Amino acid sequence: MKPTKESELNLSGATRYLDDLPATEGMLYGVPLTSPCARGLLRGIDASAALALDASVSVLTASDIPGENQLGEAVSDESLLVDGEWSYLGQCLALALAATPSLARKAAALVRIVYDELEAVTDARAAAESGSFILPSRTMRSGDPASAFSRCAIVVEGRVESGGQEHVYLEAQGAIAESLEGGRVRVVSGTQAPSGVQRAIARTLGLGMHDVEVEARRLGGAFGGKEDQAAQWAALAALGAARTGKTVKVYLNRREDMNWTGKRHPYSSDYKLGLDAEGRILAYEADYYQNSGACCDLSPAILSRTLFHAASAYRIPNLRVTGRMCRTNLPPFTAFRGFGAPQGVFVIECALDAAAREGGWDPVELRLKNLLAEGDSFHFGQPVADCRARRTVDRTLELSRWTELRAEIDSFNSAHRLVKRGAAILPICFGVSFTKLVMNQGGALVHVYGDGSVSVSTGAVEMGQQVARKIQVIAARSLGIPEGLVRVESTRTASVANTYSTAASTGSDINGMAALAACEEIRGRLLGLAARMLGADKGELRIESGFVTKGCEITELAWKELVDKAHLDRIDLSAHGFYATPGLFYDMKAERGSPFAYHVYGCSAVTATLDALRGTYRFDEAFIVHDVGESIDYDVDLGQVEGAFAQGLGWAALEDLRYDERGRLLSDTLSTYKLPDLRFMPSAVKIEFLEGAPNPKAVMRSKAIGEPPLLYGIAGYFAILDALRAVDRTHPTKAPSSAPYAYDLPMTPEKALDFIQGVRR
Amino acid sequence: MKVRFLANDSLVETEAWALAPALDFIRGELRLTGAKEGCREGDCGACAVIVGVRNESPTGLRAGSGFAYDAQPSCLLALGELEGRQLVTIEGLAAAGPTPVMRALAEANGSQCGFCSPGFVVSLTAYLINGDERRGALSVEGAFAAVEGNLCRCTGYGAIKRAAARLVEEFASLPLDPYARLDALVAAGVVPASCASFARGEILPSLARGEPSVEGGSLALGGGSDFFVRNPHPDPAAFPAFSLLDREPALRRVERRTAGGEERLEIGAALSWREFFSDPDILKLVPGIERFEKLLASPLVRERATIGGNLANASPVGDLTAMLLALGASLRLEGPTGSRELPLDELYLGYKKLELRAGELIAAVILRASRPFSLFNFEKVSKRERLDIAAVNTAAAFEAEDSAGGGPLIRRARISAGGVAPVPLLLKKASAFLEGRPLTAAAALEAARIAAAEASPIGDVRGSADYRRRLLERLVLAHFVVLFPGSGVEEAIS
Ligand SMILES: Cc1cc2nc3c(=O)[nH]c(=O)nc-3n(C[C@@H](O)[C@@H](O)[C@H](O)COP(=O)(O)OP(=O)(O)OC[C@H]3O[C@@H](n4cnc5c(N)ncnc54)[C@H](O)[C@@H]3O)c2cc1C
Ligand code: FES
Ligand code: FES
Repeated sequence: MKPTKESELNLSGATRYLDDLPATEGMLYGVPLTSPCARGLLRGIDASAALALDASVSVLTASDIPGENQLGEAVSDESLLVDGEWSYLGQCLALALAATPSLARKAAALVRIVYDELEAVTDARAAAESGSFILPSRTMRSGDPASAFSRCAIVVEGRVESGGQEHVYLEAQGAIAESLEGGRVRVVSGTQAPSGVQRAIARTLGLGMHDVEVEARRLGGAFGGKEDQAAQWAALAALGAARTGKTVKVYLNRREDMNWTGKRHPYSSDYKLGLDAEGRILAYEADYYQNSGACCDLSPAILSRTLFHAASAYRIPNLRVTGRMCRTNLPPFTAFRGFGAPQGVFVIECALDAAAREGGWDPVELRLKNLLAEGDSFHFGQPVADCRARRTVDRTLELSRWTELRAEIDSFNSAHRLVKRGAAILPICFGVSFTKLVMNQGGALVHVYGDGSVSVSTGAVEMGQQVARKIQVIAARSLGIPEGLVRVESTRTASVANTYSTAASTGSDINGMAALAACEEIRGRLLGLAARMLGADKGELRIESGFVTKGCEITELAWKELVDKAHLDRIDLSAHGFYATPGLFYDMKAERGSPFAYHVYGCSAVTATLDALRGTYRFDEAFIVHDVGESIDYDVDLGQVEGAFAQGLGWAALEDLRYDERGRLLSDTLSTYKLPDLRFMPSAVKIEFLEGAPNPKAVMRSKAIGEPPLLYGIAGYFAILDALRAVDRTHPTKAPSSAPYAYDLPMTPEKALDFIQGVRR
Repeated sequence: MKVRFLANDSLVETEAWALAPALDFIRGELRLTGAKEGCREGDCGACAVIVGVRNESPTGLRAGSGFAYDAQPSCLLALGELEGRQLVTIEGLAAAGPTPVMRALAEANGSQCGFCSPGFVVSLTAYLINGDERRGALSVEGAFAAVEGNLCRCTGYGAIKRAAARLVEEFASLPLDPYARLDALVAAGVVPASCASFARGEILPSLARGEPSVEGGSLALGGGSDFFVRNPHPDPAAFPAFSLLDREPALRRVERRTAGGEERLEIGAALSWREFFSDPDILKLVPGIERFEKLLASPLVRERATIGGNLANASPVGDLTAMLLALGASLRLEGPTGSRELPLDELYLGYKKLELRAGELIAAVILRASRPFSLFNFEKVSKRERLDIAAVNTAAAFEAEDSAGGGPLIRRARISAGGVAPVPLLLKKASAFLEGRPLTAAAALEAARIAAAEASPIGDVRGSADYRRRLLERLVLAHFVVLFPGSGVEEAIS
């Protein structure tokens, strides 16, 4: 890849993130005072000691909110500042404002509250038992699983746990709000969803959306954590600005961010899988207990993705899957790359693992036998189209020399007692589109300036996924000009309105298409002009490398000259583009429809080495064959696969999110919450993009890339499990039937040793 | 009190509080915002800067030179530590445009969101200056090791590894002589010219010696790797007086001494971990100890954390503490009423309670050189192999000899354990059990069992109590597997 200006700016330390913006004259810093226990009733707030600290101090509470004290988008169950009962530890009760960050911190610490502590629940199943749900449960079915089970030769049942995951975007959450004349506010927010933040601020301040301008500059990572959850900090800053008339900055530190913001949902699930004597899946049932946390946030949409991906890449004729959003007293869990799919995929993979053991089948054969193919349908009725499951799996088996690899591992294992190797294969099939229909739309605004340079604004937020780079390529190719002439702007609600969060891997699909539409509009106008200038037929003209071409010949007419002439001729050099993903429909009652524009396929193979003496493990190799359609930028797509795989592997075998039973986060720093470092990753990672696989359903025949590869990491879990099973356990059945199951993600050295020593089944 | 230092190529003189985290001064006062705050506790590397020193304790310097440049986390660095030194930030590196390190990372697409990027550039740049073990040679493995303290949440490290490998290739023929090398790096645009001048004392010669310009007092700051984690925003009112041990040459020496007819190694307590693991006398006395350096924190933190800090910090899982306990170290304590010696295993009275009198400092760690242990091993299990705190650690030092017939005969044994009690433990019973015994599989199993019985762990986020006890037993067995191959221990483990 040619080094882009952007990445050189990042690498030179020149890029300004939120906390790097210079403080303005008179700026105030806001530090929230948060709830001290998981559930409580606020009886009073006494800010006198805080106010006495310094003249610059003020303390805002719920009664200072001029509009609606409400943030919840899907369900109105989330106040900006608590007024009455709070439902998780770390919920904002008040906002202390002061002239310096340290004064604000001190002031917040001096605010006294009077409260009653109430009983809290943190466990999803416990919440379910007491009937505490966010929304009613949701079930998808196909065929008749109940009667299918009676025809099965083998039925396995069990329980699967998967832990939460902290985003650890390296840049913490925050916002800076500036109070403008006439009560308006302008906010720089670290958000993936500027329009959502705009809506939240308008709602809480009682303003029209046209009084609120939100800008999202480049974010230092987001991964879903700055969708709904960024609104709170922006709304608090805006509240501060509105009340004081000053610029207010709210910027969390790492510990605050980890304690106060939501993460990937932990799930506890039950499965039942039935197969015939040949290993064909006949029936599957699963019940997912999603720990949704205290508020709705994005939980329903995340749950629906779990249900849509319940069968992963497998053909399951009879299926019943039910998801429950269990309301607990933990911070609201939220979007995280994969958005519920990883949790669902992990369950079916555990079920297949159990079935392979029970039936004595080779785990890969079993998966191949049940792999989705053209002509199948997903359990929600959408036909499987342009299926690349088998192609990617076959290529992965080749790339990893699977048969030889397996034989090498087996002979290694018989030669070693205290070191064991393991391997696993994992196919993926990930549906692209927001599962919430309305979100599948986006806009773009393109200006061509008089000197031929181009500004592109879209609803896409640049957060490291390099969507700006893709949009730059799309615009440059569409206009036929060098990439250097195209600037992709930060994301502003005043430029592109009513956007949805940059998420669901759709960032470049939707915004790229919208940008393309705007560019094509302008190109059409310019080619019309060129046709007149050259006396040619518009149909035979194109713009390439900055020149108008006619058929195969390059004319003398340069881009810049053309633009100049267009301006003199009073031709509009700006255009707005819009895109709504076509062909999507879904009937929520029947749970049938075509919710996805297309699916992304792929497969990973991961190998691990286990130190059976110490219970530690390392990943050796990973092989990934990924279906990216036609890549818009190879390096960007490669980076997305590598980065998502790392997060998936971290979720599967390292990242250990822990709350105590009273709802206090135990892993609330980077010293207690570990995420992948360079050494954690397999020493060799081979990634290949499926060849000759254009995707007619998305911009420039590409495929969305952000989330699907996260699933590959799950193979890491099973690779360790495979190695664990090779350990000569003198007491393999020592584990009592009450012992916890092995299907408990993340794998940790502790769980590995438990398994080795027969403390876990 | 003033702090004077070179910030990239300009002189800074400030009255700012010398105990303030350098990160805040750099970002706030100097307005150099390239160094990022990602965690403020040494765990992410986003705040990394390069610190140049010259004319200081020889242990701190690049082999064969009078200067050193190292990458350090500025969130764990007190502003006062910069006195007389050169601070090189990402802005200083980039002053004349993207450097080869930046270009290599950009070409490999090693920067996605970019928030971690300046830190990676800083770590890799310091690696090009120092090379492996600060002797200059570059290797791909060494370049990977150099960024073990830098987290990236976006790239999955693939692109960063490719860039690191390319840099190693590109700079394969850098001279090994430290001055010539610095000149070559200046010529290649990797570091600014001011580095070569500072290293030679050509600019700001008045700052040639980093005189400690801070007043002595109650708080003794070692590397700050514990202090700043506990006090992320230290309040000047709470620490009216302090001293920076780093600036006391007497605390940064390793000396051989003979006392009472016994030869001993006196290791200054303010030695950084990196210095500890590269001191030739220490390496000679404890064969193979350098193998375990990588298990401690990260290169960035090892530049800061001191051995005295690890002992005084009294964490039940201190890694160096476990090693020094097994090695039978004693301490020289210095206080207002004079100096005394204390065996390390008598330092810990209870959870974070030390046998230290008011105003007393750990001045040196003493290892007896007359009767060294012939075998040494260290074991540590944590959730992540690198840059993580142990669930359990243990060190073992043995003096063993071949015995007729049976296995090797253990003359002396000292096994320590961390994470299994409120204090770092010397496993006295397990050690005593082994002394005078031939090392057989049965003896090893029994010793491990005794060790586990000596433990009284509690459960926390790093492991349950039950796990810790079982893990200790396995790790004690691991000592025998590692140190006595062929003794049959491995085969006896189930
Ligand atoms: C990112 C990170 C990773 C870490 N990883 C590890 C690890 O792998 N293993 C491990 O064991 N620890 C680890 N630690 C803990 C580490 O901070 C301490 O072990 C370290 O040794 C403290 O040394 P310091 O010199 O930085 O102490 P400081 O922070 O300077 O001081 C800590 C305390 O000790 C006192 N003190 C310092 N020196 C002396 C002295 N000479 N005499 C008397 N009192 C003194 C200080 O007054 C202070 O109260 C890690 C810490 C961080 C931040
Ligand atoms: S900010 Fe993370 S290491 Fe300093
Ligand atoms: S590029 Fe985002 S953290 Fe490294």
